[in-house]
Amino acid sequence: MASFERPSLNVNSRAWIALGICAICLFVLALRLWHLQIINGHVFRDRSENNRLRMVYVPPPRGLILDRNGEVLVRNRPSFNIDFVTEDSPDPEQTVRALAEITGQPADPLIEKLTRQGKRRMYEPKLMLRDVSRDLVAKIAAQRYRLPGVIISVVPARDYIHGDLAAHAIGYIREISGEQLKNPLYAGYRMGDVIGQYGIEAKYERYLQGERGSQAVIVNAAGNKIGEAYSHLALPGSDVMLTLDRRLQEVADRALVGRRGAVVAMDPTTGDILAMAAAPRFAPSIFTSEVSKEAWADLVDGKENKLTNRVTQGVYPPGSVFKIFVAAAALSEGVVTPQERFFCPGYSMFGTRKFRCHKHSGHGSVDLYEAIVQSCDVYFYMVGQRLGVDRIYQYAHDLFEFGEPTELGIGDESSGLIPSTAWKAKYFRNPEDKKWYPGETLPVSIGQGAITTTPLQIVRGLSAVVNGGRVVKPRIVRKVVASDGRVLEETPAAPDMVRKLDLDPQILDKLKRSMVGVVEDKRGTGHRAGLPEIHGISVGGKTGTAQVASRESGNKSEDHAWFAGYAPADNPKIVVAALVENGGHGGVEAAPIAQDVFAAYFGIPDPPPESKATLKKKPALVVEVTRD
Amino acid sequence: MTSLDKRVFAHFDWGLAIFTLVIPLFGLVVLFSAGYDAEGAVNLFGFFKVNFPSAACLKQAVYLLVGIVVMGLGMAIPTQTFYRYSFFLYGAALLLLCAVAGFGVVVNGSRRWLDLGGFNLQPSEFMKLGLIVTMARVLSKRPPRDGVSYRFSELVIPGFFIAVPMVLIAKQPDLGTALSLGIVGVGQILFVGVRRKTLLAIVLAVLALAYPAWEMLHDYQQRRILVLLDPESDPKGSGYHITQSKIAVGSGELFGKGYRQGTQTQLEFLPEHTTDFVFSVLAEEWGFVGCLLLLGLFFGLFVSMLRIASRTRDTFSCLLAFGFTVQIFAHVVINIGMVIGLMPVVGIPLPLVSYGGSSMLSILFGLGIVQGVSMRKLQYRPS
Repeated sequence: MASFERPSLNVNSRAWIALGICAICLFVLALRLWHLQIINGHVFRDRSENNRLRMVYVPPPRGLILDRNGEVLVRNRPSFNIDFVTEDSPDPEQTVRALAEITGQPADPLIEKLTRQGKRRMYEPKLMLRDVSRDLVAKIAAQRYRLPGVIISVVPARDYIHGDLAAHAIGYIREISGEQLKNPLYAGYRMGDVIGQYGIEAKYERYLQGERGSQAVIVNAAGNKIGEAYSHLALPGSDVMLTLDRRLQEVADRALVGRRGAVVAMDPTTGDILAMAAAPRFAPSIFTSEVSKEAWADLVDGKENKLTNRVTQGVYPPGSVFKIFVAAAALSEGVVTPQERFFCPGYSMFGTRKFRCHKHSGHGSVDLYEAIVQSCDVYFYMVGQRLGVDRIYQYAHDLFEFGEPTELGIGDESSGLIPSTAWKAKYFRNPEDKKWYPGETLPVSIGQGAITTTPLQIVRGLSAVVNGGRVVKPRIVRKVVASDGRVLEETPAAPDMVRKLDLDPQILDKLKRSMVGVVEDKRGTGHRAGLPEIHGISVGGKTGTAQVASRESGNKSEDHAWFAGYAPADNPKIVVAALVENGGHGGVEAAPIAQDVFAAYFGIPDPPPESKATLKKKPALVVEVTRD
Repeated sequence: MTSLDKRVFAHFDWGLAIFTLVIPLFGLVVLFSAGYDAEGAVNLFGFFKVNFPSAACLKQAVYLLVGIVVMGLGMAIPTQTFYRYSFFLYGAALLLLCAVAGFGVVVNGSRRWLDLGGFNLQPSEFMKLGLIVTMARVLSKRPPRDGVSYRFSELVIPGFFIAVPMVLIAKQPDLGTALSLGIVGVGQILFVGVRRKTLLAIVLAVLALAYPAWEMLHDYQQRRILVLLDPESDPKGSGYHITQSKIAVGSGELFGKGYRQGTQTQLEFLPEHTTDFVFSVLAEEWGFVGCLLLLGLFFGLFVSMLRIASRTRDTFSCLLAFGFTVQIFAHVVINIGMVIGLMPVVGIPLPLVSYGGSSMLSILFGLGIVQGVSMRKLQYRPS
């Protein structure tokens, strides 16, 4: 057998070569293993951890919002969200369509949510529907087999115990937007997080939010949870205690039902805002679940402007309320004495132009007191001319801070406008318009013309008159308390003063007595703000009826109704400004609102209109509807 | 049959025997972890119910026992008999391959198995044996005419013997087995020797044919090769196997995550972790040290086998031993190369370690034949 002969080849050397090749190949494998396991081992170790652990975020309960007495205004309740883990569904779009069908929602917005990625880990649930009803949860649970990857999660949601109470002050929360996520201000937030978007909720977002908890869940390749590696508990947000008084706020809110306007009450010594109401309002709870396009359009569109906080953002000519500040300027500058009398024939001639007093029959001879009590326009036309617009500006703007935002800090604030010669020269292009005509000073003297203010500025200005000349900064937060009880922020007892006015106390006293007269004098325009005499609390204030430039100038109800007042007259504890847009007469429309707030503040049961102090005194009073 | 001469035991290769047993025993330890299932009640081949937490490990142990018997059979059959029946073996395997092409069972999209009434037969395993034996016979019968190295014309017939089963198996499609078959045949030819010019011409021809061959590959085969170049390009699709395997291997670092602590394995991120990717389990749980240990054991096995080949007294025995060496070596390199991302995922098991009866029996039978060659090396003296 030839083939079994001793081979002619040198088997030994061939075996050595084969062994060499074998060794080289195994060495290459070992080298590669060295590279994977030793050099890059830590990288792969991280990746294997990433594989194994799925981070689940636990939203923290948001901090509470309390009123000044610790009464809860906004708390949290458990709510159901519908989440979706796309990786767990063989056909995510089909699943979302099924979800839309079951919930009766249009499918397209939900499918659009699928494509919004953001920063997202694999298997991280995507929020589909927020705060769904228990019925819907039951329906979804029953049809689970059609919805692979759909999860029902329980998360805290805002519970607005008092409905739309102080909606503008409290604000609302809503899912963080794409633009906000890009904003460095919101570093650390993730898609789907719910943040304060308005009011206190926005301003104190960082305090209220708390810290997200996280759970590292061990999952297998199928994505099923098989254990927990570690977890951090969610840290509840801090509670924010406001300066608002729930009872007062309720009264203010209720007074504005069916109207457009604003009511604000402030402690004149501390600057604490006790009530802040604007109407029309919105219900913050509608932002808890999905906001439909129609609901959103209703919120931002048209004349209603439900999202406008008219207390800080609404600008209105102050009308006769402004006369107090003109009077302060006139007395301080010595252009008039309290005793000096002017004759009001019902109008005032300036050159060839006739400026009317609101009382066309005229007030006759009036001094300062009578001019304020009866709100005589002619008196202030005269005084205003003596002062000139720039001195009015100097007092109103430089001293009483009109035309400057109050820096309350919740949302954008309007600054309003106090006109002056400098303003006119600066803001008009046409050389003709740049000049200030002396005739323009007349309307400014009675709070009309180019002048606009916010209700909050009125309260701040009036407070300075009644608290002895201190212009205080309004504030709405008393303190912030962390979930462990630590006080993180507390407003000091002493007010944050903008300035102390160097005004003669006698002048302020004269103005205060005049304002009490507005409410208590039988000819006063503001008697409807007064409290029943038996309580011994006298009220001071000033009415205003601001004319609104309108095409239908014949329509009287276009005027804005104002009342700004304070009580008790001898030691003011509360200053209130009430404004009703297009409400008509300040004394008729706005003064009763202020009365309600005063009554609530002093714990006086709501007096029926007939029992009001001044009416009791003068039952036969002919309620002459006058334009003050 | 030649009576068992007592001298044959004198040449029993203990080194080969030890490596042959230590490697699968080590494999069983790895498999115990890879196939771990705490609630596992193993239904052993439909007969016994056993409470054992790792089905793969238990069944593999049974395969190993059967395999040792088969290995004894391989040892007992005289080398001469293989020479005699080589063409018969080759022809039978070829017939079975044709039968598979005709009415084989389709598993995972490829037709590799013959269903023999509850027992699945993989004819490509037979063909490995058939080809090694046949090539050894053809090459020993027709040594190079110049006594040193083959020229092209002399390679046509051996090449034909290699190509026919390769094409049949590649068609199944089972690229990995076809490839290893080719490596074994070509390895045996190269062992004898090929002229440099001829070799160069063949290499160039192969390169020229590579493009049409690429076109003939299935989509998924093309993708697997492409994914090898950039596995991260498709982490959830074709690249998933390689990506997860590399994570498993790499995360083992120097000493591994510990026995049964491999997260990639135990949480089933690693696919096929008892079969083709069992090396990744070892790498993850035993680390670089464990990998070197197994590579070392295999190296020891190859040294033993090559020593036996080099000590034979005749060309047939030598090529027979060398053929089995190349077979196991090719499987080891392709499998490990695959799981650590050096080669495409071709579905080749790791010899003696991967779970699977066919592979275990076939490899052990081959090792038995090599042991038989060693034992009979003095039997066939030149007359």
